[in-house]
Amino acid sequence: MSQTDDETGHDRAPRKPTGTATGPRSRRDKTTDLETAVAAYVTDGASVAFGGMGGRDPEAAAREIVRQEVSGLRVVDDARTTLFDVMVGAGCVDEYVGSWVGTSLISQGFNVRRAVEDAVPHHLAMRDVSNFGASLLFLAGAMDVPFVPTRSMVETDIPAHNPEIEVIEDPLGSGDDLALVPAAQPDVALIHVQRADPMGNAQIWGNVVNDHLKARAADNVVLTCEEVVPTETIRRHPEVTRIPGYAVDAVVEVPFGSHPWHCYGYYYADLPFYREYGQQSRDREDFLAWADEWILPHDEYREKIGADRLATLQEMEAQINDVPPVVGRSADRRDDGARGAPGEGGR
Amino acid sequence: MSDDGRATGQGTGDAPVTQPADVEYPVAVERPHEPADDYSLTELLAVTAAKEIADGELAFIGVGMSLISGVLAKHTHAPDCQLVTESGYVGACPPGVVQSISDTVLGVDALVATNQLQIFTDNQRGLFDVGIIGAGQIDRYGNTNSTVVTGDDGTYERPKVRLPGAGGSTDIMTSCGRSIVMMRQQRRAFTTELDYRTAPGHLDGGDDRDAAGFRGDGPSAVITDMAVFRFDDDGEMVLSATHPGVDVDDVREAVQWDLRVADDVARTTVPTRGEIATLRTIDPTDTVLRGSDYVYEVGFDEWSERVMEHWKTLQDQ
Repeated sequence: MSQTDDETGHDRAPRKPTGTATGPRSRRDKTTDLETAVAAYVTDGASVAFGGMGGRDPEAAAREIVRQEVSGLRVVDDARTTLFDVMVGAGCVDEYVGSWVGTSLISQGFNVRRAVEDAVPHHLAMRDVSNFGASLLFLAGAMDVPFVPTRSMVETDIPAHNPEIEVIEDPLGSGDDLALVPAAQPDVALIHVQRADPMGNAQIWGNVVNDHLKARAADNVVLTCEEVVPTETIRRHPEVTRIPGYAVDAVVEVPFGSHPWHCYGYYYADLPFYREYGQQSRDREDFLAWADEWILPHDEYREKIGADRLATLQEMEAQINDVPPVVGRSADRRDDGARGAPGEGGR
Repeated sequence: MSDDGRATGQGTGDAPVTQPADVEYPVAVERPHEPADDYSLTELLAVTAAKEIADGELAFIGVGMSLISGVLAKHTHAPDCQLVTESGYVGACPPGVVQSISDTVLGVDALVATNQLQIFTDNQRGLFDVGIIGAGQIDRYGNTNSTVVTGDDGTYERPKVRLPGAGGSTDIMTSCGRSIVMMRQQRRAFTTELDYRTAPGHLDGGDDRDAAGFRGDGPSAVITDMAVFRFDDDGEMVLSATHPGVDVDDVREAVQWDLRVADDVARTTVPTRGEIATLRTIDPTDTVLRGSDYVYEVGFDEWSERVMEHWKTLQDQ
């Protein structure tokens, strides 16, 4: 919903031209570090979308946004969990367009509730859509059309409180009412994936949620990934390249970048960690203490979590999902025994 | 698409789907088909909702209680049901509790790992049989609110309680074959007037859904920690069964409107020992069932060991 961003007149990164041979998304090495990527693309007042959904979330990127004290964000998204609650509590977000906010089964989004109900630290404006509606925001954005229609949200209060959604009678004559979902083209999408090459060809194992659409709809895309791999590794499994390099602006290797959530094939979710977040975010002062403790540069965060604990999460995931990234890694990094990877073609 | 399955959810006063005596449970327990004598209301709710999923059905389930019911169905009476989740997984056999909608246990033995747009497109096309949702408020026609409780002087922008939002409930209630609503029975939640209509039930009753052009049949059952409700031909909620120890009057008091009651109110079937044992194996850390504070107290090492051990139990089946 870039028109609103234009109205606000916020500064933002320049709109990117398409992936031409000489354009900024051309075939080049886009690798950088997290601090640089966030500083370059997540500017005050930007509209932002995040990848994953209670799994493969770009948690490290969100912590970096908080660390850089970015403000006035408009988060245009689908269902959001801990990373959104942390950003709201830290005062980074002014508005949310999306379908669901919480943290997990064992806690609520206390910061979101405080912001919406009591304007602490300041009011968070909500624009609700349904989950299908959230997908369609990004489909329309990715297609670069003003809207796409759906049967969902008709006869509900969603359009009444979200003026950007309009219900019309089918102009082609079926007589059916349809909700028109406007295109979302956020300034930047931050998406965490299992692996990408330096150009940003990104491979996702397991579910994709809306990431393939967000990457195409957003003006700029910052990929974080568990591993940057050689392009040759990508070529071996092109069928799992969900985001093409021509849609990507920055690539950052961020191992455990989804912690405390899962990354399919790499590590399981750290339930006790986000349970503690849930407990400590009940109270504003306790949340601020949590943020002081855990909003750190990612390397320090990993060190604080501890290598043994992270290894256990890898072991848990390995018990349930033995997936091709292991094959890719063993083929390309035979000396990397971190996961005790089986031989090539193990599955 | 199972016509048989769809029929189980329809009509007034239907008894819950009966449990075949020859169900094999994945967990060893003595006298597995006998009624359990030790279970919580939450466990009863989970088991009762699981029975709404017939074997072979495509069951669209959300996070929390509905997911554990789906996982239980898969491990007990409905091994050939296919669980569908909005984040993109279809057909998984999760060896344990699903903590979030992209929990990687949903990848275990999955048939499909796709994206959210595809799942909801398939839902709108009418490809799924039954969906299970949760809600904060419901009215007599099964319309639900999971967005805001405005209270006396609140507004949508500044509500008394901000709830999580629609999630997939709007889309499921619009287009899924039939829908099951799971919620806590509270008078303030069973309301004459929703603060916000998040998901469409039978609207104002009668043929309103047909007039709106909805493909799905809408809510067919509401399952709470006190009772099971179904819907009459006019789309109005009717008390169909009460749980053990709950009287019809108890339920009436927990509903704001003059509740319709079936002529032959049934007693909810008590869960079997096998069902309860399976449920507790699925959720060894009490993450969903919450019979104890264990999940709030367990340390990381014990949690991880316990989860892996219980996964193994169900993976070995």
